Amino acid sequence: MGKEVAESCVESVLMEMVSAYCNRFYANKPELAARRIEAIGYQVGHQLSERYTMERPRFSDHLEAIKFICKDFWSELFKKQIDNLKTNHRGTFVLQDNRFRWLTRMSIDPVPVIVKDSSQEAPVGATENKAEQATTMHLYFPCGLIRGALSNLGIPCAVSADMSNLPACSFVIRIKV
Amino acid sequence: MIVCVAVVGHQNNPLYLQSFTEADDALKLHHIVHCSLDVIDERVNNPKKIGSVLNETFLGLLYPTENYKVYGYLTNTKVKFILVTRDLDVRDADVRNFFRRFHTAYVDAVSNPFHEPGKKITSRIFAERVSTIVKSFGLSAAV
Repeated sequence: MGKEVAESCVESVLMEMVSAYCNRFYANKPELAARRIEAIGYQVGHQLSERYTMERPRFSDHLEAIKFICKDFWSELFKKQIDNLKTNHRGTFVLQDNRFRWLTRMSIDPVPVIVKDSSQEAPVGATENKAEQATTMHLYFPCGLIRGALSNLGIPCAVSADMSNLPACSFVIRIKV
Repeated sequence: MIVCVAVVGHQNNPLYLQSFTEADDALKLHHIVHCSLDVIDERVNNPKKIGSVLNETFLGLLYPTENYKVYGYLTNTKVKFILVTRDLDVRDADVRNFFRRFHTAYVDAVSNPFHEPGKKITSRIFAERVSTIVKSFGLSAAV
């Protein structure tokens, strides 16, 4: 019954969307572009959560809903589950994916040391920074996905992403009380 | 025969309400649907009362009136489906089957990118699908 699309198409659409928003519509306002991309993710997550929770009993607490995101939701999207889930039991959850599918094609120079005091190092730092910024832009969509899915399940939250060691990626969910 | 189906949002806002009777009793059916919201709230807040499976989406018979039976269904996203039927001997399996198909139709309707979440469902295709499902419910109950 389910319709399928090639994975490469999804990745192309995602890349095209990010580049369209960052380089064409809001070229000078990266914050606005980020918000728009996140909003698209939110809508998609909102709709997907409705579909993927169809045949299951209702969740009784937050942890169950988060587990659903880690297992079923992630498997539907990325054919794998979240590798590690941490929580402080006070509304913050960290979901770590050791090989996040949408980042496996990204490459950032593994030169994290940026010398700040020398003036000729500055351009290197700038390009590094730019590549990182571009990668960050690609993470607003999955953040929106998670936020949309959870808020449709009745859990308002804020989601941010951390990609300090590619291609691993962790998503931090803070549930609003 | 199903006389009325309704979709009610998580803030008890009506999203879709359709009656299937010739007579002019839409207001009465609307009232029945409205009353059943309290029963759903009660069921959800006292989960022990629901059969063997905890937190099942299918809420079962909400209440019988003299002429109607009202069934409820609550999705994970806190959207309620309500079914009012005039048949007095309805098989549970038929109702479950109805809700499953109805839920599929609903999911397809809200996945439309032009549908605004939390707003009434105005899709004509959804209305057509619902009326097909409603008609086939009558048939399977008769067999």
